[in-house]
Amino acid sequence: METNHLQRHNIIKNRIAMNPDEDVDSALKLWEQMATEIISIVGESGFNSLYSRSIFLTQSTFPWVGARSKSQITEQRFAELKMDFEEQTPAQAREANCLLLITFTDILASLIGEQLTTTILNSAWGNNASGKTSKEFKNE
Amino acid sequence: MDNDSNDGASGIGDLHQLDASNQHKAKLATVLNDNGALLSREKLVTAREDTAHMRENAAGLREEAAQLREGTATSREQEIRAAETIQSASDDQMIKLQQANAHLVVATIEAHKLAEQIEATKVQLDHLAHHDVLTGLPNRTLLQDRLSQAIEAACRQGRQLAVMYMDLDQFKHINDSLGHAVGDKLLQSVAQRLMDCARHSDTISRQGGDEFMALLPYIENAQGAALCARKMLAALALPHRIDQHELHISVSIGISIYPDDGRNAETQIKNADTAMYHAKESGRNNYKFFKQDMNDRAVQRQSIEVSLRRALERQEFVLHYQPKINLKSSAIIGVEALIRWQHPEQGLLLPEQFISIAEDCGLILPIGRWVLREACFHARSWQQAGLPPIIVAANISALEFRNKDFLNNILEVLEETGLEPRYLELELTESILMQDAGSTDSMLHALADLGIKLAIDDFGTGYSSLSYLRKFPINTLKIDQSFVNNMCSNPDDAAIVSAVINMGKSLKLCVIAEGIESSEQAAFLLVQHCDEGQGNYFGSPMEAGALATLLQVSVTLIPN
Repeated sequence: METNHLQRHNIIKNRIAMNPDEDVDSALKLWEQMATEIISIVGESGFNSLYSRSIFLTQSTFPWVGARSKSQITEQRFAELKMDFEEQTPAQAREANCLLLITFTDILASLIGEQLTTTILNSAWGNNASGKTSKEFKNE
Repeated sequence: MDNDSNDGASGIGDLHQLDASNQHKAKLATVLNDNGALLSREKLVTAREDTAHMRENAAGLREEAAQLREGTATSREQEIRAAETIQSASDDQMIKLQQANAHLVVATIEAHKLAEQIEATKVQLDHLAHHDVLTGLPNRTLLQDRLSQAIEAACRQGRQLAVMYMDLDQFKHINDSLGHAVGDKLLQSVAQRLMDCARHSDTISRQGGDEFMALLPYIENAQGAALCARKMLAALALPHRIDQHELHISVSIGISIYPDDGRNAETQIKNADTAMYHAKESGRNNYKFFKQDMNDRAVQRQSIEVSLRRALERQEFVLHYQPKINLKSSAIIGVEALIRWQHPEQGLLLPEQFISIAEDCGLILPIGRWVLREACFHARSWQQAGLPPIIVAANISALEFRNKDFLNNILEVLEETGLEPRYLELELTESILMQDAGSTDSMLHALADLGIKLAIDDFGTGYSSLSYLRKFPINTLKIDQSFVNNMCSNPDDAAIVSAVINMGKSLKLCVIAEGIESSEQAAFLLVQHCDEGQGNYFGSPMEAGALATLLQVSVTLIPN
């Protein structure tokens, strides 16, 4: 379980590392892709609940994340997150985004399990960043 | 063959026959033809019928085919409908599943939050159970627990430890005069300073009110505790800036040492508390180590407190009056009312033996009101008896002066007794006046506006701001008897007395010296142009009746 947990974290770190230009739009695309997948399974309200909780937990490390408002509309929610990131240095934004994604998927994994969470991430983001990981899952 | 044998004879016949035959044949042929035609017609009819049947059959088949096509179309429609129904049902199922998932996620996240809140509340409750809300310091319960553990460890390792019981001096005055909000902030400031004096291994706790305790589990010897106590006294000596106030507060500290002063937590705390009271009695703002004989005094003190609570009801207090003399004319110009307690078992007790206890337990307020009423009542009675009017002075404690009802009480007493305000003098110490000069100033002016005289008692022993001295509506400076006692033998005391007299004169204040015991002292003061004197040389404190007699005999007091 611990190994799976670290592998998922690595998937996230790899995906973020694939954006060397520190492009905020690319960072948010990860969220949008993941949101589409997850909303299809747990609905808007389920996603909102997970997202709000992740924001709350991330704020203990990055108080500025999600501080401006608590919009429940997906489009506005990510627009606000984008503004949050744009107000920080790229390194800070990247670090915060990484933590937010890890926190979000940690919660999701605690609800539906590591394997399904990773499958969803692969569906959302494609297998490029996690090809190796997927094989490892399969061998389990 | 038969036809060949009859050829000759029968040629014509034959022809006839032939003809007949031909005719017959023709007829036959005709018949045959007719029959054939009939047959053909029949066949035709039959064929037509067949055709008609076939057509009917074909029509039937076409109908069947049409029916089949209709059936197929219907069945296709049904299939499509069925597929649509299945798809619709599937979509519904998906929506339901999504909704169910959403509810499960939301419910689980809410459950997480709730569990987290419960955990946080449990931690908070645990902290609250063991810490003081105001200062955040460990509370009595936690200190006792740590002390018990420290005693066990000290016992095993053959070490000493110290318990310090600390009580802020005159904190009630600040609380009563400036309100609890300021008092609370002062307690927080004190707590921080005590923490700054402690080591990581020490525990500073708030016991409640203005009482704190320190546990020093690792000390080399008693001197280690003394060093810590001195640090705390020094740390608290600096003023505390609370809102717009600059507050001064000191602390009295009692110290008990394990194992010398007790083997368990309860005894250690009790003995440190006893030592703290001893520190208070020794003038406050200091520390005292516990000694066994303190316990006896503590028992006596406790007994006094219990008795004090009944003394007012039982009318056990009396006022004695000591004359104040005009040094030039020797005339009695006033008296100071001094409280005595006629204790049913211990006899007549002086104020030093019970006033500090009364201040600590809050009884000073009703006792102070009683003194004021009694003094005004006597002064008015003497006037009504035709005796020369004199000023009666009453000592006012800080607790009374800062009490919100102080001015109203005085007005009530004056109204009740009928004494004119100009015959009442209030004696206040420097420490009372200089504490929170702003509110002091307004109170003093309110009293002065009524016509009440104001005197600074024990002048020279406290800290007076000369600018306030000039600003306050003070009438009299009362030189402390400690300077008067030695002024004839100690040039420094003589210089102080002389300086105070001169300063008083310069500020146009009346100066009175108290504690005059000899003619030499009286003479010295007269030379220094001191206005008034008070002391046993002129007259010891006496009961109201005795003073009335004295006033009746003569308004001038000739020293004995």
